Amino acid sequence: EELRLSHQFSPGDLRHRIAEIVAEEVAAADVDLTIKIFPSGSLFKATEQYVPLSRGQLDMTVFPLSYAGGQRPEYNLTLMPGLVKNHEHAARLNASPFMDEIEAILNEDDVMTLVKGYLAGGFASMGACITRPEDVKGMTVRAAGKGFEEMLQAAGASIASMPSSETYNAMQQNVLNALNTSSSSFVSFRLQELAKCYTPASDVALWFMYQPMLINKSTFDGLTPEQQAALMAGAAKAEAYYLEEAKKEDAQSVEVFREAGVEIAEMTQEDFDAWQALAQESSYKQFVANAPDGQRLLDMALSVE
Amino acid sequence: MDPLVLGALVAVFTIVILFSGVSVAVGLLIVSAGFLLIFDGTRSLEMMPEIFFADLNSFTILSIPMFIIMGAAIASTRAGADLFEALERWLTRVPGGLVVSNLGACALFAAMSGSSPATCAAIGKMGIPEMQKRGYPDGVAAGAIAAGGTLGILIPPSVTMIVYGIATETSIGRLFLAGVVPGFMLMGLFMAWAIFATWRSGNIAVLSPRHYSLREKFEILPRILPFLVVILGVLYAMYGGVATTSETAAVGAVLCLGMAIVIYKMWNPRAIWTVLRDSTRESVMILFIMAAAGVFAYMMSSLFITQSVAQWIAALEVNRWVLMGIINLFLLVAGFFLPPVAVILMTAPILLPILDAAQFDPYWFAVILTINMEIGLITPPVGLNLFVINSIAPNISLRTILVGSAPFVGCMILAIVILCFVPGIATWLPDLVMGPS
Amino acid sequence: MPGPTSAAPAYRRGAGFVRAVHAVSTLCGWFAAACTIIALFVTCHMIFVRAVLGQSTIWQTEAVIYLMIAATVIGLPYVQKLRGHVNVDLVPLALGPRARRVLAYVTLSATLVVIALLAWHSWHIWHEAFDRNWKSSTVWAPPLWVPYLVLPVGFGLFVLQLLADLVALATGLDAPFGVREA
Ligand code: NA
Ligand code: NA
Repeated sequence: EELRLSHQFSPGDLRHRIAEIVAEEVAAADVDLTIKIFPSGSLFKATEQYVPLSRGQLDMTVFPLSYAGGQRPEYNLTLMPGLVKNHEHAARLNASPFMDEIEAILNEDDVMTLVKGYLAGGFASMGACITRPEDVKGMTVRAAGKGFEEMLQAAGASIASMPSSETYNAMQQNVLNALNTSSSSFVSFRLQELAKCYTPASDVALWFMYQPMLINKSTFDGLTPEQQAALMAGAAKAEAYYLEEAKKEDAQSVEVFREAGVEIAEMTQEDFDAWQALAQESSYKQFVANAPDGQRLLDMALSVE
Repeated sequence: MDPLVLGALVAVFTIVILFSGVSVAVGLLIVSAGFLLIFDGTRSLEMMPEIFFADLNSFTILSIPMFIIMGAAIASTRAGADLFEALERWLTRVPGGLVVSNLGACALFAAMSGSSPATCAAIGKMGIPEMQKRGYPDGVAAGAIAAGGTLGILIPPSVTMIVYGIATETSIGRLFLAGVVPGFMLMGLFMAWAIFATWRSGNIAVLSPRHYSLREKFEILPRILPFLVVILGVLYAMYGGVATTSETAAVGAVLCLGMAIVIYKMWNPRAIWTVLRDSTRESVMILFIMAAAGVFAYMMSSLFITQSVAQWIAALEVNRWVLMGIINLFLLVAGFFLPPVAVILMTAPILLPILDAAQFDPYWFAVILTINMEIGLITPPVGLNLFVINSIAPNISLRTILVGSAPFVGCMILAIVILCFVPGIATWLPDLVMGPS
Repeated sequence: MPGPTSAAPAYRRGAGFVRAVHAVSTLCGWFAAACTIIALFVTCHMIFVRAVLGQSTIWQTEAVIYLMIAATVIGLPYVQKLRGHVNVDLVPLALGPRARRVLAYVTLSATLVVIALLAWHSWHIWHEAFDRNWKSSTVWAPPLWVPYLVLPVGFGLFVLQLLADLVALATGLDAPFGVREA
């Protein structure tokens, strides 16, 4: 039997490696199951994977869950400013009742999670360093995620929406002054060539995005117990690897930017609190207004120590 | 079934169905639907409209209708005639001044139009009758305009470069710059041939200079000023930090529509509608092919054909220039039958990993690919520029147009060979303006 | 590439239907052109707001995308009416009149089937998005059923235009592949 896994990332990306680990483990278990990986959006475009997954037209994916926030507003909590402080905190959040609630919603769409994982990110700017909300005032910023756009707008930044393929040129031409995305994306966009200052994810970070490996639930239920066990074993191995490597990604991106002579800024706990206070007033508020049961979910997520 | 065998089957069916006379976009949809149904079941078939939608769901595609409107708006005015007249008055000392002016006008017009048929029509409407009147051979006149028109997709802006940029995720601004020098080089080759062919035909008289007074030379200049304004405006928007490449297309379209309405007094709603009708017709045709080719690409990827073919070719381990020769031959043949957009979209997913492995520069290759597509525009059975010439110069037989165009195809092949030996012709300007890639 | 359909004698059977469908398709063409022009001005507005006013551009990019999708899909029947969808007519032109007629029926029917298939499935997609109140996952968050609506409508009208083409072919209002025998 063959399962098709689609994702948007290049074959050199950590998230492709996660898919490979599961595929290799399943193949090694010799349970008559193969996973065929379609990387780089060669089967479905980045944002178009959730619906086919929930219908069983696609079997598996590694997917930033907030992309499906238009279908399930609750998923917007998986990319919300200030909700996750660092990778250890992300791991605790993954094991918390909050994530069980998310899983229940996924199950309603006939989807289940195999591998949980968060990736962090930061800011790159063409001008002054961005550590506090005041720094982005008057800047034109492209942010990854609705919650971040709402918060940055509240901070007085202008939000520009454009495809990721145009960001490099836009930064080069000063159409964009700053960019907010994941550590690995900064490197793959080659922004170290342009940026004047980089604010990476370090001891405290603002930007964490939940990017799990998902499988269609009916497809999973239709597998033999041996096949299911092999998948789960592979997933467990991948999840441990994911957490370790996610931390390294941040450090590697800092290295790349430092080598390119870009100034590295650091966000303090105090800066973080200022952003979070702003998010309370903007993105959290918007979220609660749009998601049914939003306040309860938000409280659950915030209660994770 | 082995994906390679499946791939061969897809190739055969695609050829048969496209030759049946069904429209290219629908042909791609029929093949995709058939293969998805048989080898993937109904689940994929249900998704066809979603894939169709997803392929159009990109801001970059906006630039295609916009650059088409730009060309159509200018083509509807007498701007093309002005341009070629100005060049003629100034190039009067050059042997074969008239055909040289026409080719130069094609190249300049190409800098404002994203599509080749528009370029062809804009210059040819005035240029071909003028050349015939002054004794140029019909074949040279028609061939020069047909070939000169193809510069529309090599000299930026270019609809096919945009499509290539979308399909390969390369920078469209950079692709545009890569086409500039090769475009003018090709123009030079065309001019050389046109002069030679006219001389050989024995009509040496037409090559002799016609005199224009200095006054005549200068009084025409204000009439080409709008062109320069538009070209500079677009360049400023694109490379001066005002807008991204796709947004620039809209600026260009507004400038050209404005120029047509204000300077060339295209007040008449009927005239404006003609521009909109022509550009709607062309852009819907192209975008339909794009979306259908997206469905086709999904089918190929879903059945693992794309990946298997790419792996298979990569494993052949032939010399990279032999590989480039084969790729060119393949593109040339595909270009005979299919419109450029369809060829690019159908081949890019397979070709890109191969080119990458053989370490060919994707921007350099875009130029090679575009010249191949230009050849397709002036060769039967599907040669859009041939149809345009046929409709603007009904007194020249299709046979004469074909025979007249053939040597220009030779010039294009020569250009490809030159580019293979001196890749810098394509890569120098983008490296200079945007830094090394 | 055959030229536009020649004017048909009004008394032929089916001519009324064909004319009515042509009128609908022409309306589609106007709609498509209007969407393109609106997209053009929205883009210029976006550049102005961002570059000159220095303000946020939240909705423009997405609105332009949906306008262009609408222009394309709703424009399909109009371009079909104009015979603007490019094809390879080498074989049809080489065939004899009878074979050409048969081939014209086959290709037109095949086109009809595949477009009807798209129309049918688009209807379901639209319905799902409407039923579940799916939104775009952006700050603007427009309901997705609005842009999805162009799919069933556009493909549906395309099917209608193809039916009219079939009628025109059967009644002799239109020649197979636009080739009239002498
Ligand atoms: Na051009
Ligand atoms: Na051709």
